[in-house]
Amino acid sequence: MTLLAMRGVTKRFGAVAALSGVDFDLEAGEVHALVGENGAGKSTLMKILAGVQPLDDGTMTLEGREVRFRNVSDAQARGVVMVYQELALVPALSVAENLFLGTLTGIVRYRALRERARALLAQVDLDLDPETEVERLSIGEKQLVEIARALAREGRVLVLDEPTAALSSSETERLFELIAKVKAAGVSVVYISHRLEEVFRIADRVTVLRDGRLVGTRALGDTTPDEVVEMMVGSAVHRYQRPDRHRDERLGRFELDIAGEAPIEITVHAGEIVGLAGVIGSGRERVLPSAFGLRDGARWGEQPLRSPREAIRAGIMLVPSDRKSQGLVLELSVQENVSLGTLSRLQRFGFMRPEAERAQTRHWIDMLSLRPPLPHKPVRELSGGNQQKVVLAKALAIEPTVLLLDEPTRGVDVGARAELYDVIDDLSTRGLGLLLSSSDTEELIGLSDRILVFRGGRVITELRPPFTYEEVVAHVTGARQLA
Amino acid sequence: MSLARVNWRELFARFGLVLALIALVIILSLLSDRFMTQSNLINVLRQISINAIIAAGMTVVIIGRGIDLSVGSLLALTGVVGAALAVGGLPAGIAIAAALGLGLAMGVFNGAFVAYAGIAPFIVTLAGLTIFRGMALAFTDGRPISGLPPIFMTIGYGSFLGLPVPVWIMLGFLLLTHVILRYTALGRSIYAIGGNEEAARLSGIPVRRVLLFTFAYSGLAAALASVVLNGRLNSAQPSAGVMFELDAIAAVVVGGTSLFGGRGGVFGTLVGALIIGVINNGMNLLNVPSFYQQIVKGGVILGALLIERVVSTRRS
Ligand SMILES: Nc1ncnc2c1ncn2[C@@H]1O[C@H](COP(=O)(O)OP(=O)(O)O)[C@@H](O)[C@H]1O
Ligand SMILES: [Mg+2]
Repeated sequence: MTLLAMRGVTKRFGAVAALSGVDFDLEAGEVHALVGENGAGKSTLMKILAGVQPLDDGTMTLEGREVRFRNVSDAQARGVVMVYQELALVPALSVAENLFLGTLTGIVRYRALRERARALLAQVDLDLDPETEVERLSIGEKQLVEIARALAREGRVLVLDEPTAALSSSETERLFELIAKVKAAGVSVVYISHRLEEVFRIADRVTVLRDGRLVGTRALGDTTPDEVVEMMVGSAVHRYQRPDRHRDERLGRFELDIAGEAPIEITVHAGEIVGLAGVIGSGRERVLPSAFGLRDGARWGEQPLRSPREAIRAGIMLVPSDRKSQGLVLELSVQENVSLGTLSRLQRFGFMRPEAERAQTRHWIDMLSLRPPLPHKPVRELSGGNQQKVVLAKALAIEPTVLLLDEPTRGVDVGARAELYDVIDDLSTRGLGLLLSSSDTEELIGLSDRILVFRGGRVITELRPPFTYEEVVAHVTGARQLA
Repeated sequence: MSLARVNWRELFARFGLVLALIALVIILSLLSDRFMTQSNLINVLRQISINAIIAAGMTVVIIGRGIDLSVGSLLALTGVVGAALAVGGLPAGIAIAAALGLGLAMGVFNGAFVAYAGIAPFIVTLAGLTIFRGMALAFTDGRPISGLPPIFMTIGYGSFLGLPVPVWIMLGFLLLTHVILRYTALGRSIYAIGGNEEAARLSGIPVRRVLLFTFAYSGLAAALASVVLNGRLNSAQPSAGVMFELDAIAAVVVGGTSLFGGRGGVFGTLVGALIIGVINNGMNLLNVPSFYQQIVKGGVILGALLIERVVSTRRS
């Protein structure tokens, strides 16, 4: 029996069409997986279902009656509850308080609250004192508390947005048992995930979105992982790929502990761009911080990397993923930011050398075509792409031999992105070794000389050009291991 | 920029403090004919010198996103130790150098707890505030030390080119601080750390060493202020300097340095100290009872912060 039907759902954010005419059906008591690449519109579709965001166009019918949710409690009243990708618990409150947040009125009877909380936690097999503050829980426990909270709302539709991204494998197992349990109780579950092996294990049907459009819905029995990947990436578009270049000058080898079973090794050659692929939780996101001395147990050849200063001395520099909180001092000017890593070279007897500093800034402004080319402009006032160029200039000014790029184009508009790609490409032809960690498959394919794919804290495969989009996505999502 | 299109907000953000000071001076010279005299103005400068010296050190700490509550007590400690050494027969120059060295060392003590043990500056220096006071009292058994050698009189009451020696010491120390902050790699590192410690660390700046320096420098400033105060009083009191930390912080924030770090400078601190000094002086001349003076002083601090907030939020 069809419990829920969404028809022609359309949603725009300014100029971005997040969803265009999407249809989505949910049967009573089914587990329905929703997949698609980053930015495909999965979270947006489900936020509309859960009353977080209004739709611009389209209809929703629940049990044959058309509904329109104005807010989250509207949706909850009709039995639709969602556990968000970015968890929404209040850290300083207790588990019990969080469970009933928003449903409490008047005087709170704590004893009764505790008892009901205990019962709910038992439902999700969580052996926890309801008085515990949420900030002391592990991410997996928080996830389970979120689900318990959803159950407390007596939901008939439970939406889980990438719930396993940060879970350990034992926590993931618990989650799956729980999903089986609520399904048996007649609840419908929408399960958003990048991991196809999970989808093929627990889901009854799968719906694929691409660029805000519905590609199709399949029963899991009638499809294969390869078909799902193909649906995700679309027909093979020919994209720019760098020619297979031969290089032999070896710069060195990283030995990194990224919390897998064993340390991993990455050899870097001069003029080479090594792409790092993997979903969040695969260990990929730990590689660059580790290579920059921010985690224990990292070495570059024989040289231990115990701090950023040690890494920099070894000729390794990082362009961090979050430029505002890690890359820039927003109060300072372009020039002052560019100089941050080279203060020791720009001074004599402790005094800054204004000539040297100006010359260095000028050089990098020209080299990276920073706009506007004003060294004294506060970086706060630059666009995202130009801010990223400042971070890059700072990193290059120290003249590293290995440059670590962590999500270098996140939050950068299309035009500036192309410029950054040119710069990165140019750097590799100058003999720099680059590690590029990115969640953007297209970016990895366009820039990398080889791509290392991470899962469970290990490199599961190394891909060489010519890359195909399907191949990369298949490995990243785990579809290749299923086939 | 044509004259008709003056950007008043920008102008105010940059020169508002100085304009406020000028306005204050004009108002007071209208209210009291004893205000705008050479001797009174020099008097104001001498009165603010001790606060301005401490506040210069405080500025360095605050730009690095710290705070130093221990300066008043440290002033008492270095004051009595320096005086005791001088009275005990050590050459006065060496006794003064020892006092300065002690201030530096105690600043390093504060800084080590902040930078290497990772304890919040507020807590560390709050502990310092009671520890240093206790040490000063224990060292002297609670009694003042008098009979200082004549060089202290010269420091406290001498004058040079028409300005009192304490004013010269203040100007010299402010200039030194200004040079460090604006023209050295160390100064640049302090602004960077105060603005974004994480970005500074990932750029390879030795964050801990720089933070250690800021507290050491503040300790040195407190010790220098104690030498001047010993000269003015011609004795050393273990109870000296109570609440001086608050006057110093007030001068810094009235002077436009952000308590959130990364922004400000020592010129603003001088103007801040002048504004507070002029208000105190004016109220004395106008015979405002001292209880009311405290209320006015607090009001000025709040007003300055309010204006800073309005200007800076409009800007971003
Ligand atoms: N609140 C928002 N404001 C502007 N754009 C948004 C917002 N939420 C999502 N988007 C955009 O809509 C598209 C779909 O995003 P999302 O639904 O989060 O994708 P997914 O969950 O599949 O990764 C993306 O291009 C994203 O940038
Ligand atoms: Mg999403």
